[in-house]
Amino acid sequence: MNRPIRPGEWDEDRMERSRRVGWIDVDRLRESKALVIGAGALGNEVAKNLVLSGIGDITIVDMDRVAFSNLNRCLFFREEDAHLRSFKAEALADRVREMDASCKVRGIVSKVEALDEDAFRSSDVVLGCLDNIAARLHVNAHCCHHGRPLIDGGTLSTSGKVQVVIPPEWPCLQCSMNRTHFRTMERRYSCTGSDTVFFEPKLAAEITTTSVIAAIQVRESIKVLCGQRDRCLHHLLHYNGLNNQVLELEVPLDPECPLHSGQQGK
Amino acid sequence: MSVRVKVRNAETGSTVDMELEEENTVQEIIEGAAGYWEKDAGAYVLRKGKKLLRGPQTVLVAGIANSDDLELIPDPEGG
Repeated sequence: MNRPIRPGEWDEDRMERSRRVGWIDVDRLRESKALVIGAGALGNEVAKNLVLSGIGDITIVDMDRVAFSNLNRCLFFREEDAHLRSFKAEALADRVREMDASCKVRGIVSKVEALDEDAFRSSDVVLGCLDNIAARLHVNAHCCHHGRPLIDGGTLSTSGKVQVVIPPEWPCLQCSMNRTHFRTMERRYSCTGSDTVFFEPKLAAEITTTSVIAAIQVRESIKVLCGQRDRCLHHLLHYNGLNNQVLELEVPLDPECPLHSGQQGK
Repeated sequence: MSVRVKVRNAETGSTVDMELEEENTVQEIIEGAAGYWEKDAGAYVLRKGKKLLRGPQTVLVAGIANSDDLELIPDPEGG
């Protein structure tokens, strides 16, 4: 016999409207683990979209502290966080937890290079919300090594990009880079002889572009988690908010890329 | 054999004609165009149609032909 329904019961389920979107598997999302690397503007927007989408387990990683210059585009940071110089990962995790107490949220204060391998291994999807090429390459290499899907986002002023990497077959971030990327990376390290980043250029950023890019990152993640990989971006989306241009670009797999050795011709 | 292509600046819409040899590489095109427009130091990519061109590829290997339209796009690295 069918279960009897009650008037208004649909409004008691926070995910009821999501369940109406045919391809979204809400139960699968609740079982999924997302690793968000970077708790800046993109990380804030991504974390918001992940928790509202019903992802059950979110880990947020960042080594940095909240500054006043973050407050024009970081949804979850408050003036108090900037006064206290709170750690971004912890402040963001606390606020995300407030949105859904049933979601497991962890904030890890760490450089991405020091992040435990288990963080990658145990994640179902990794979202790159980083602000430099070296960290992107690090995350890219670890995702490829552990076979974890990586949805990387980047912004610059009113432009942005999202790249979907599904190891091992799909081209990775390194496949899409050229000499200008490596020169940009070298410039950051050229001020010291150590491995400490010394020169940190301040990049133009504004919230509407960040929101667009973060939304696409999370939608692609949901596709991956709900078994809709065929519908994912192939492979890179470039967005120009000033010229109203959206481009989906195919990235050829680089046969020289060390992360794809043995895959040539596939 | 040389080919003549048009490179478009994705940020401004302006274009420049470039004359290329078969052995020129995509990254040489990127650097040449970025230098011509006095672009900020940063990462850039080049597209032909819906395909991103790989930096080390030569004009010949990348299949760049006479009268092709290419576009120089800044690669956003901020977060």
